[in-house]
Amino acid sequence: MSRRGVGLGAFANRTQATQSFATHGANLRSTHLASLQTQLSVFQSLLHTFALEHSSTIKSNPTFRAEFARMCNTIGVDPLAASNIKGKNGRRGLGEGGSFWTQILGGDMNDFYFEVAVRVVELCRDTRDENGGLIGVEECRKQVRKGKAIGSGLEVSEDDILRAVRSLEPLGSGISIVHVGAKNYIRSVPKELNTDQATVLEVMQMLGFVSVSMLRLNLNWEKARAQTVIDDLLADGLVWLDAQGPEKEYWSPQNLLDDSG
Amino acid sequence: MATAASTAAPFPFPSTYNFPPFFTPQPNNTTRHSQLQKWSSLIQAWCRHHRTYRLSLVDAVDTPLFHNAVLRKRLDLGEARAIVDWMTKSEEQGGGGQRAEWIVGAAAGGNAAPNSVAWIWWRRPEEWADVLTDWIDATGQRGVVLTVFELVQGEATVSQEFHGMDVEVMMKTLNVLVKRGKAQVFGNDGGEGVKFF
Repeated sequence: MSRRGVGLGAFANRTQATQSFATHGANLRSTHLASLQTQLSVFQSLLHTFALEHSSTIKSNPTFRAEFARMCNTIGVDPLAASNIKGKNGRRGLGEGGSFWTQILGGDMNDFYFEVAVRVVELCRDTRDENGGLIGVEECRKQVRKGKAIGSGLEVSEDDILRAVRSLEPLGSGISIVHVGAKNYIRSVPKELNTDQATVLEVMQMLGFVSVSMLRLNLNWEKARAQTVIDDLLADGLVWLDAQGPEKEYWSPQNLLDDSG
Repeated sequence: MATAASTAAPFPFPSTYNFPPFFTPQPNNTTRHSQLQKWSSLIQAWCRHHRTYRLSLVDAVDTPLFHNAVLRKRLDLGEARAIVDWMTKSEEQGGGGQRAEWIVGAAAGGNAAPNSVAWIWWRRPEEWADVLTDWIDATGQRGVVLTVFELVQGEATVSQEFHGMDVEVMMKTLNVLVKRGKAQVFGNDGGEGVKFF
């Protein structure tokens, strides 16, 4: 019955026990940590090898690149964030000198996204007059792929464009991504779309154009409301007017791109 | 006045041509500007393709250039005039860089309505002058006397872009060269000769 020990000795025993538990716990924790660290570094080096091995594919194949970037994201390595802290020590201990991408691919990946970003900005500027500063990511991708001069086309995916635009955010360039309906747009003129405007843009995605009576019939809007929305879009240069039909039609300029310049 | 080479490849219209609002003057200024630019390059490309130097708007409104039969949209005469008028102005005046020039008292068909026929400068005379100088240099014809007819219709120029050029445009071009001191024109109506330096 006296297994627990009575008397003063028990106190000493108990402290001892707690102490040994604590040391044991600490031991366990440190081995755990160590093994995790080895795992992580093994993983990192594997990632490095993988990226190095497939660097040419990563650079040339947009689907592969997107998958790779997604993989990095899932495990908590943001390639863009990592490439933005160039020069300073990498956030996740990845970079001793230079960013994750610079280390792995010799700066190519940074440069790649910046190059895409430059083209996106150029395109937005060139087409601002015709589309009011709103351009579909898909259309943008096609343009970037084509390139203006011979041989300057870049094989990119939508994902690349989105990343490139996001990489511009620290510059405060006012270029942002807007979601309307099923599509992503790049907005290069800082202005908010209200709900009605977004709705009309969504309708135009499907049909290419809208008219006041269409909006009244399908959305049950009053005439004044439909007219106001359209007038606003027109004033922003987001739609073009066709007055040669029986009713005025308003067209989205999103498919105009291939002959600008 | 489409002196069209009917056997040549059909003119490749840009995608704007199939965009219905393209044929309606846009109320928004910025959009309008973009529209004018697109029309200007379309008209220039069209004229270049068909080797047209002077464009009569009255005739042109019924050609495919201003009339999209598939969409059943057309550019009316007034609007065509507005566009060409914009093209005649320099960029400083908010125009299209002097890519057109009204022909005053147009000789075409005697219908002397103002602003109905225009030169379309898909190359301005100054630019033609450069082309001509390059050709003269490349063929080593400095100091040689050529007739204007030879320049425009001669066998030696068949491969050149200025072959078959409107004689008036050629004269304008030569005048540019004269002003630059690169050529001398002599002779008179129909029998002009030119010497290049």
